[in-house]
Amino acid sequence: MVGQLADYISALSTQLVKKKVETYVVTYNDSWTGAVEEASGVKVVRVANPVRTHIGVLTWDLTLNQEVERAAASIYYQAGKHVNLADVYDWHFIPAAVTLKNALNIPFVYSVESLEDHRSSDPNTPYSMSIKSIEWLGFYEAEKVSVKSEWMRDEIVRIYNVPKDKVTVISPSAKTWVRDVLKLYRTVAGGASK
Amino acid sequence: MTDPLSVMMFSWEYPPRVIGGISPHVYFLSKSLAKSGVKVHVVTCDFPGAPAHEVVDGVEVYRIDSHKNPAPDFATWVYMMNLNMQKEAAAIVNKLEGKVDVFHAHDWLVATAGIGLKHVFRKPLLVTMHSTEIGRRDGLHTDTEKMIHETEAWLTYEAWKVVCCSNYMVSHVRWAFGLPEDKLVMIPNGVNTHVYENSTSEDCEAFRAKYALPDEKIVLYVGRLVYEKGIHVLINAVPKVLEKVNAKFIIVGSGYMKEQLLNIVRSMKLEHKVLFMGFVDDATLLKLQKCADVSVVPSLFEPFGIVALEAMAAKSPVVVSDTGGLSEIVDHDVTGFKAYPNNPDSLSWGITKILIDENYKKYIRENAYRKVQEKYNWQTIAQQTKNIYKTVLGEYSKSFWA
Repeated sequence: MVGQLADYISALSTQLVKKKVETYVVTYNDSWTGAVEEASGVKVVRVANPVRTHIGVLTWDLTLNQEVERAAASIYYQAGKHVNLADVYDWHFIPAAVTLKNALNIPFVYSVESLEDHRSSDPNTPYSMSIKSIEWLGFYEAEKVSVKSEWMRDEIVRIYNVPKDKVTVISPSAKTWVRDVLKLYRTVAGGASK
Repeated sequence: MTDPLSVMMFSWEYPPRVIGGISPHVYFLSKSLAKSGVKVHVVTCDFPGAPAHEVVDGVEVYRIDSHKNPAPDFATWVYMMNLNMQKEAAAIVNKLEGKVDVFHAHDWLVATAGIGLKHVFRKPLLVTMHSTEIGRRDGLHTDTEKMIHETEAWLTYEAWKVVCCSNYMVSHVRWAFGLPEDKLVMIPNGVNTHVYENSTSEDCEAFRAKYALPDEKIVLYVGRLVYEKGIHVLINAVPKVLEKVNAKFIIVGSGYMKEQLLNIVRSMKLEHKVLFMGFVDDATLLKLQKCADVSVVPSLFEPFGIVALEAMAAKSPVVVSDTGGLSEIVDHDVTGFKAYPNNPDSLSWGITKILIDENYKKYIRENAYRKVQEKYNWQTIAQQTKNIYKTVLGEYSKSFWA
């Protein structure tokens, strides 16, 4: 666990399974790799980076994405080429999501927890610009963008010129939380827009 | 297997984008494969003025936006470029309705695109290892070098077969990445002899006059000015050669060692004997190769040594260092002179021998030309490559991915 995201994904995936949604979580773990089914019924695939030495988060991320693709493609083929959509959290796995969309027509929701502009003390460095370009790619290729607050929606519209109606605000504290998520998924499921 | 057999190649360079040897290699290999009935799609980086999609000699060439994502340094750029290459290639495969049998990657520069596409489409991946980081740098000293080395290891692990262009490279790659023997295939690099046949050497005299005095012999070096190419060994051999023969050393190419080399030449007071040309256009290079009295390839690390083959095709006698692929290309005293690597005395001995002994020179250049035509012919190489594709597809057809 690095931030709060792990808890959130755990809670959401558990709720989704309860709603009879076949849910797979593809995530990173440096040493504990492979597929397991949690008691909750959530299937988790953990991948490690085959390249151990890196010069920065970017190279680490961009190589890890191939393993994410491998795991996701395995799920896709084992499920008889039937995956309705991917939900991608933050920029890290946007490259994999974009490939899966272009290769296998799996549409994706880009769920934004934070933006490079807010995380970085100087978002104009070449390094941050690279990450921002991946964020931009995510907004461009995603069917829908999901955020947790009105403020974040406005920031995405302001920084990336994303059309406002592409961004849905879903509050995890609302009673309708899981229902809202499923509603969003339903609008996206059924194939990437060509 | 689709009919005809269909391959998608990934290469970070393809003409008119030419940085090193991969560009001409992919150009001639793809063209010759197309000629032998293989449908070839080359996915490569963009280049100013070159179209995003065109058909070149029967080959479908796609140029992707290689700077769509900015990057802080070269290595990061490579992975960022691969992100876009992978995305665009995925869309191309879909446009072709999945009619691609094999992915073929050239070097680590397209590793992640090749590996990712292999898994999402579940098609076999082949790789040609043109070089290795551990060989280029003579060890692994920095995190960048280690990262590239590990990326290469991963790529060879993911590949169904690993193609190398010399027996030396086969054993080097096997050692560097701990690969099983049956995973490696040796297919030599080729040289296009036609370009040399078509140009005449009649006007050599006038052409020579631009670079050398009438009584000066021309010693030619073509290559990047970097450590592994051993150019400093040649520079150190210059005064030793000049003790015996009057000659002009023409250095074609550029690289990070240029200033250092200029300083050595200056300190020897031999600026009038060594001419640094930088990059030259193809026509000039061709003429230089045709008109040179001797071509020198003094590499310390050389996976193949295409420049020696080109010189041999141009009927320029060669002096090479006895290392890597060069050892296999050249038979000592038969098709060229093999000098001890990293040894200016040995190198100058070979250069001098060729410059002084006309009969020796004539003998080796004719033998060399014959050997090039027989062994390093692109059509033969394409056929060998096609056979590897077929072998891989045969094995693949038994797997649960098929």
